[in-house]
Amino acid sequence: MTSVTPDRALAVDTRPPGPVTTPDPQTAQTPRWLLEGEMAMCPCGCVGRRKKGSFVEKTLDGSAGLLRHVMFGQDVAQSPGFLQRVDPRVKLVSLLLLLVAAAVVRHISVLLTAYVLTLLVARASAVPVGFFVKRVWLFVPIFTGIVVIPATFSFITPGEIVVPLWTWNGQQVGITAQGLQAAGLIVSRVALSISLVVLLTITTPWVELLSALRALHVPRMFVLVVGMAYRYIFLLLGSVTDMYESRRARQVGAEKHDGASRAFVSSTAGALLSKSHQLSEEVHMAMVARGFRGDAKTLSGFDLRRADYVFLAVVVTVSAVIVLGDHLLGL
Amino acid sequence: MHIPDGYLSPATCAVGFAVAVPTIIVASQRVQRTVKVRNVPTLAVLAAVAFLVMMFNVPIPDGTTAHAVGAVLIAILLGPWAAVIAVSVALLFQALLFGDGGVLAYGVNVTNMAIIMPFVGYAVYKAIAARTPLTSGRRVVAAGIGGYVGINAAAFAAAVELGIQPTLFHAADGTPLYSPYHLAQTIPAMMLAHLTVAGFVEAAICAGTVAYLQRANVPLLQVNHPGVPLTAQDARPSARRRVRPWHVAVAVVGLMVVLTPLGLLAPGGAFGEDAPGDLNLSGLGLRSVPEGLARWNGFWHSALFQGYDYGNDPHPWVGYMVSALVGIAVVGASVLLLVWVVNRVARKPRTDEEQTVNVAHESKTSAS
Repeated sequence: MTSVTPDRALAVDTRPPGPVTTPDPQTAQTPRWLLEGEMAMCPCGCVGRRKKGSFVEKTLDGSAGLLRHVMFGQDVAQSPGFLQRVDPRVKLVSLLLLLVAAAVVRHISVLLTAYVLTLLVARASAVPVGFFVKRVWLFVPIFTGIVVIPATFSFITPGEIVVPLWTWNGQQVGITAQGLQAAGLIVSRVALSISLVVLLTITTPWVELLSALRALHVPRMFVLVVGMAYRYIFLLLGSVTDMYESRRARQVGAEKHDGASRAFVSSTAGALLSKSHQLSEEVHMAMVARGFRGDAKTLSGFDLRRADYVFLAVVVTVSAVIVLGDHLLGL
Repeated sequence: MHIPDGYLSPATCAVGFAVAVPTIIVASQRVQRTVKVRNVPTLAVLAAVAFLVMMFNVPIPDGTTAHAVGAVLIAILLGPWAAVIAVSVALLFQALLFGDGGVLAYGVNVTNMAIIMPFVGYAVYKAIAARTPLTSGRRVVAAGIGGYVGINAAAFAAAVELGIQPTLFHAADGTPLYSPYHLAQTIPAMMLAHLTVAGFVEAAICAGTVAYLQRANVPLLQVNHPGVPLTAQDARPSARRRVRPWHVAVAVVGLMVVLTPLGLLAPGGAFGEDAPGDLNLSGLGLRSVPEGLARWNGFWHSALFQGYDYGNDPHPWVGYMVSALVGIAVVGASVLLLVWVVNRVARKPRTDEEQTVNVAHESKTSAS
């Protein structure tokens, strides 16, 4: 233990006593208090619990949630697992292939079988299955499901009525077989698509994902902008948190949701824009001082191994089997 | 408004990418020309801001909060092309990091929120702000209305994309394969939410931020408004910008193209356009179709798009859209040709003799 660096020693100390066979990725680096609370923060506010809270609290919660989400993802991406060993380029191509396959499938059974496969892959890739299932089923498809339920009625999706409910103007209204089929189809397809995207992004460090984009001939400038933007999100997030925390520190009592608070939010946005404009000037000067002339060079450290080719072949086969199996089941 | 994967058919997603990718390429070239080598840090920081602005909770009167998109705001401050790049990158983060908005649907989401929204909103802002000084209140109002119109245009586009799915893509027994709602349901649902709440949230953010920058950081406003006077005192009397008929014509035709899908919603037919078989003869006190009507109806049988459709294709909507596009092109070309001929005829005598100048001038003004 003498050669252990301090942070490594800290990580060892925080583990519970007793034999630890598989390292729990959740506690490997990120503190537990940061990981508790609401999962699946959605910046657009359309998913998850919609609680009535002050806009200051919610923005602060949102920024903490963003950090939590990113740190948890990085922890999983660095823990040993099946998908972590696959080349990111191969993973990205596989994701696109499988997404297209999922999009053309017309049978719920095929989609559900593929979903079970993603669960197995998640299990093999050190993704906590509980988290994975919750991330996919508890938030997004349930939301989708609620949206889709009205579509099962005969006035949205006409067809063969299986559950007659009432008659209206002499016409029977009820749940149609076609409506149920459509609802099941869309829920399972959304679930499968989201599982696939989560699997890719949670097992790949962001930097490698960007290099994979570059390898797929996404323009270099775009990748460079994306990479730098990712870095500045966290810097600017610090400014936003500072502004909101100082606002909360000055405030006694509950926030009012009136014009003054809206003026505060838009002033915050204005201040953020001013700061970022100044920041971009400084960053530009610093980059030019270090020899930046508008061209980007990336280190290409990827080599496709045999295992990667095997993985790609398996994915192509699976996509083909999904599409062909769907055709064999008939239209 | 972030459309997830699974709601749209692969064909729709492909169309989305076909629109989004060239626009992003043009946008990066345009931005590169204007800000040159500085574009990388500027765009990177802007994209980070665009992402963070989408996280801001805007308080609304019922005690809850809502989010803004901020595309119009960035378009006002740094031009619509910069907004295209910044919002596209922010949407990429949301799709890949948070599963908010799909990966296959990325092109469609970019089209709605990073292309339609900033351009429509910016055009409205420019039209209302006109040539008022930079610190005038009219620019604040213009920014608010621009934000309101911009987000509603994006929502309308999303509603149309979702609404055409069940008609274009369904199984043999009528089961919708993708989003199950028709245009008649998606348009009211999306527009109700955006016309009443989300539009005003966007307007508040746009107007409030422009008002704040007018007080606190005018140089940032000047970035995208070169040559615009600061205050009313600085304003020099300048020649009014002429409205060019060409621009107005393109704008009106563009608006009509955007509204074309509404024709699919219209029920029934127009008065006087029925086929003879559809006439309510007994209601008119007639026993048979009048002789002249029967003889001359169907005189022209060789229309290219009979009944706004070609052949018996399985997707009548595609035929409707194709006929609409061909119709626009043909009418536009005929009008251009006509105006060109009128101009040629009107210009000719001017060089000949003095006495015809007056006539030529009259006919020219009437032509334009």
